[in-house]
Amino acid sequence: MSPTRTLDVSGLPAYEISNRAPLWWGQLFMALIEGALFCMLIAMYFYLRLSIDVWPPPGVKPPGLTLPTLALIPLVLSAGGSYAASEGAKRDDRRMMLLGMGGNLALAIVFLVLRFIEWNTFNFTWAADIHGTLVWSILFLHTFDVIADLLMTAILIGIVADNKHGPKQRLGVHVDSVLWYFLVLIWLPLYVAVYWGPRLVGSR
Amino acid sequence: MTHPPVTPAGPARVWDEQDDRRALARTWHDPEGFFGWFRATTHQAIGRRYVLTAFIFLLIGGVEAMLMRIQLARPENHFLGPARYNQIFTMHGTTMMFLFAVPVMEGMGIYLVPLMLGTRNVAFPRLNAFGYWIYVMGGIFLYANAFTGAMPDVGWFAYPPLSGPQFSVGKGVDAWAQMITYTEISALCVAVELIVTIFRLRAPGMSLNRIPLYCWSMLIQSFMVVFAMPAVMIASTVMLLNDRTIATHFVNPAEGGDPLLFQHVFWFFGHPEVYIIFLPALGFVSAIVQANSRRQVFGYSAMVLSQVATGFIAFGLWVHHMFATGLPQIGEAYFTAASMMIAVTTGIQIFCWLATLWTGRLRMTAAMHFIFGFLFIFVLGGLTGVMLASIPLDLQSHDTYFVVAHFHYVLIGGALFPLFGAFHHWFPKITGRRIDEGLGKFSFWLLFIGFNVTFFPMHILGLNGMTRRIYTYPASLGWASGNMIATIGAGIIALGGLVFIVNAISSMRRGAGADANPWDAAGLEWSVASPPPPWNFTYQPVVSSRVPLWTDPALRTVVTGMRTDRREVLVTGVTEAEPQFRTVLPGASLWPFLAAAGISIGFAGSIFAFSWYYVAAFLGALGIIGWFWPSPPKDVEP
Amino acid sequence: MRPGPQSAFDAAGSAARVTGDLFWYFLIPLAVIFLIVIAIAIISIFRRHRGIEQEPLEGTHRPSAQTERRLTRVVTGASVLTLLILLGFIVASVATGKAISGRAMPSNAITIEVSASQWWWNIHYLNDNASLILTTANEIHVPVGRAVLIRGVSQDVIHSFWVPSLIGKRDLIPSRVTTAWFTAEREGSFRGQCAEFCGLQHAHMALWVVAETPEKFDQWMKAQLADAANPSTPSEQAGEKVFLDKGCSLCHTIRGADVEGLIAEGQVAPDLTHLASRMTIAAGTLPNNRGNLGGWITDPQSIKPGNHMATIPLAAAELQPLLDYLGSLK
Repeated sequence: MSPTRTLDVSGLPAYEISNRAPLWWGQLFMALIEGALFCMLIAMYFYLRLSIDVWPPPGVKPPGLTLPTLALIPLVLSAGGSYAASEGAKRDDRRMMLLGMGGNLALAIVFLVLRFIEWNTFNFTWAADIHGTLVWSILFLHTFDVIADLLMTAILIGIVADNKHGPKQRLGVHVDSVLWYFLVLIWLPLYVAVYWGPRLVGSR
Repeated sequence: MTHPPVTPAGPARVWDEQDDRRALARTWHDPEGFFGWFRATTHQAIGRRYVLTAFIFLLIGGVEAMLMRIQLARPENHFLGPARYNQIFTMHGTTMMFLFAVPVMEGMGIYLVPLMLGTRNVAFPRLNAFGYWIYVMGGIFLYANAFTGAMPDVGWFAYPPLSGPQFSVGKGVDAWAQMITYTEISALCVAVELIVTIFRLRAPGMSLNRIPLYCWSMLIQSFMVVFAMPAVMIASTVMLLNDRTIATHFVNPAEGGDPLLFQHVFWFFGHPEVYIIFLPALGFVSAIVQANSRRQVFGYSAMVLSQVATGFIAFGLWVHHMFATGLPQIGEAYFTAASMMIAVTTGIQIFCWLATLWTGRLRMTAAMHFIFGFLFIFVLGGLTGVMLASIPLDLQSHDTYFVVAHFHYVLIGGALFPLFGAFHHWFPKITGRRIDEGLGKFSFWLLFIGFNVTFFPMHILGLNGMTRRIYTYPASLGWASGNMIATIGAGIIALGGLVFIVNAISSMRRGAGADANPWDAAGLEWSVASPPPPWNFTYQPVVSSRVPLWTDPALRTVVTGMRTDRREVLVTGVTEAEPQFRTVLPGASLWPFLAAAGISIGFAGSIFAFSWYYVAAFLGALGIIGWFWPSPPKDVEP
Repeated sequence: MRPGPQSAFDAAGSAARVTGDLFWYFLIPLAVIFLIVIAIAIISIFRRHRGIEQEPLEGTHRPSAQTERRLTRVVTGASVLTLLILLGFIVASVATGKAISGRAMPSNAITIEVSASQWWWNIHYLNDNASLILTTANEIHVPVGRAVLIRGVSQDVIHSFWVPSLIGKRDLIPSRVTTAWFTAEREGSFRGQCAEFCGLQHAHMALWVVAETPEKFDQWMKAQLADAANPSTPSEQAGEKVFLDKGCSLCHTIRGADVEGLIAEGQVAPDLTHLASRMTIAAGTLPNNRGNLGGWITDPQSIKPGNHMATIPLAAAELQPLLDYLGSLK
């Protein structure tokens, strides 16, 4: 068959590192899925909390506010590192990518250290009662995601440092930032639920 | 955004179709050999695998149903004892819902959507393969437990406390809970890739209001999967499995948990789940009705908007599964209203199809028979659904055979009949051979008659007091004749299924060859050879209407300038599908299989000890690193 | 398939009756809608032969604008009509729901606590006067014309109380109390069954509700509240001894001068004080007669595999007196 008209796309770019990339969209939907998961956990937290008079149950020390609130600082700042890395990826600026990802990684590790210290102050486990179950479930899942993303970032640092990166890997760096923004953003309502829930909602 | 030039007459540069086709064949062919089979990432290969695997699970679920029907055919029967019967009905529901219904719809979507959209593959080919492997491994994991005697026996929805650590000892329920994680991850992978494919990889000119109605169904369904599936993972794995294995207290009332919370979370998933199964079937109906009425489906916008509305409303109905639990009445009344309102959005679609059929020039192919079967069975089931939405009526019918009848009418009528219609309709495209229409119609009649003989009496049985999930019943209650009739009907269904299988196999071997468009249908999938080459379109078409092959049979505008030495696809804009840039998709790869295997091993172990989750994470991480590790060529510049 | 004793079609209670009426209000319009839809679909198949308003779609595949306009009007009309019919259904449903709701319950109701365990029903007729609290199992008697409030609890997993001729279901959920009420409107015996899958013997967890005149009900209550008759014949006395010595009293209670269940509060098995007055045994599984009772005691696992009753080997010389004694517990 010989068509009458053709649309010649050979002049179009062979790739694009932006939020129009399919991989960016895929990552966005992965974030939405995780978001749905965490929102359901928050709903469960309040459903159960509101059916119990004394919260946390007697003998349980409510999770302290200081450490997690402090930990918000490195967490939010680390998103800046992601942003820098993502911009560096778009401009093919290796130094900016490395600095951004490195900053992100360092600040995220600070966040995790603070969190692990905080966990040592808990006087309850997930098997203690429903409060313990909920708090540990939320913290565990969020931490698991954070560590997974950190590993991804660390590997990308390795690849970029080794100068093995091409457009695909730069797209990876750019897309990684979406996941990190999500992990930071979703932590905010989770933080409110876990740490302020016992202090704000209902009478103790 | 500037658009590349469209040359009015003649090519802008010289191209040779034969050359291009040879190059594309080299670039896109699926690897051969034993290991090659594990590395395939084309959507046709993965789609076919999903459908075939799901069909095997359908047969297994059907055998389980047959065993149940034999036991129930007579009162006080001793064919199956209570333990075995409870395992079998649990496995029947679980297999049909998780291992057949959702995967088969996904598989058909994976196969058809890129073809219908005029592109070459889904957006994430390796994720596609990964999703399939996780699904298969999950199914094998669940059934492998049969060999260790650890089959779940608490029903497909496994309510605690019965399914909890105190009343269900052993690994059966653990296996059930974790299997859900596998299949849920698989469904999420497919949902993400279909959404991105539908939004970003369409042929130029195929604006959103020109995509086939089936693609709208898959798009909306995929969004529903994204928001519903996390809930079932929470219910099964986070709540139930953890309560059973690491002493959490989600559903343990002694420590503040709540068994009713499990029901809320489970049904928040469970109700959208049935629409997740049902929406793709509606897409099949639109496609088949359109092709065989020789006119576009009436009311494209109404069809799309009512499906979007259905998708939203479906998330607001879940409490209608819990009307007997004594929740506050005002809240329950809202769920009655919402459950009835979804009948409006579904009804609008039925009316549009009736309008299409009424004013079309109908051709009663075997596929059309199944569509009419759908109309009869699904509408009947939908109407009993309206009854069940009413709380007083539900309090009499809930957990009885009335409900069993209802959901089989809507699921088999609403999903399975359109699916079989789709099998007959796209059989020539997928296999390159015509399926025998006479045998197809015969199998339809067996399935239709068998179905009604089996399930219609169950309405009456339920209202006469027969509760669900009982392995036997006394002779004095007057249920014997109804059950015997139902069992006979089940035999007829089995016959119908057998005829279909025979038809499919013999048509694949000896059927007449099919050309590209045996039905004179309108969609882009009918513009390529039967079966399509692995790259689908040698030159992607440029589209200017909802029915490309009807307005422009020769597809006279095509895309040129794509690379043939890489698996390149065109990325186009979300709403107007204007060409934006090109991107290279990965070729064949073993990493999706390896990553899935690693994660599966971890999940399988996790029902024994929590630390196996870390094994899953570690092996999965290894797999994903290999998956994404940079491989030459580094640059994709021409 | 005639309605048996467990049929929602045979409404003998207020809740079941108004629900049954609602059923017909729904069924008839829905059946009409169904027939219309199917008729349109089937006529469409045959329309093509008649050539009326059939447009030549081969070629353009496009019906005329006039046809599409007409279809728009019809589809819109049908959709609006559907909406209105459904609104009507909602109103009817909510009205019936109000009639069976707790707030509609007449005063002076009898309160019966139904405590479900895996695979039997523990029944307590509640009363402010502690000496008038009746404990029985698997069979409920109610007076015709007086409201009965069912107070549902569960000792283990989720069960569901359902007597189709009288009342719709109410789930019995551990750590919660659920309630439902009905008024029996005529005499009769009505069978019910657990309606939420509760494990191995869910199929054999039935109960009977006997509705009788207020006078007969009062007589029944009086007889049930009385302690067990002392065994009179030597065989019955020997049977009582078997009951005490062979471990039956570890789980079962027989209220009498010198017999009491060891677990006074917990009640892990049905109260047998007036066993011989019941229609069935093993939660509605078998008719209550000497042969069935003997078979049940000898080998409960063959009748209800997996149930929690121990199998206690008894010689014939022990079984026969035991059956005599149990048969005397009217």
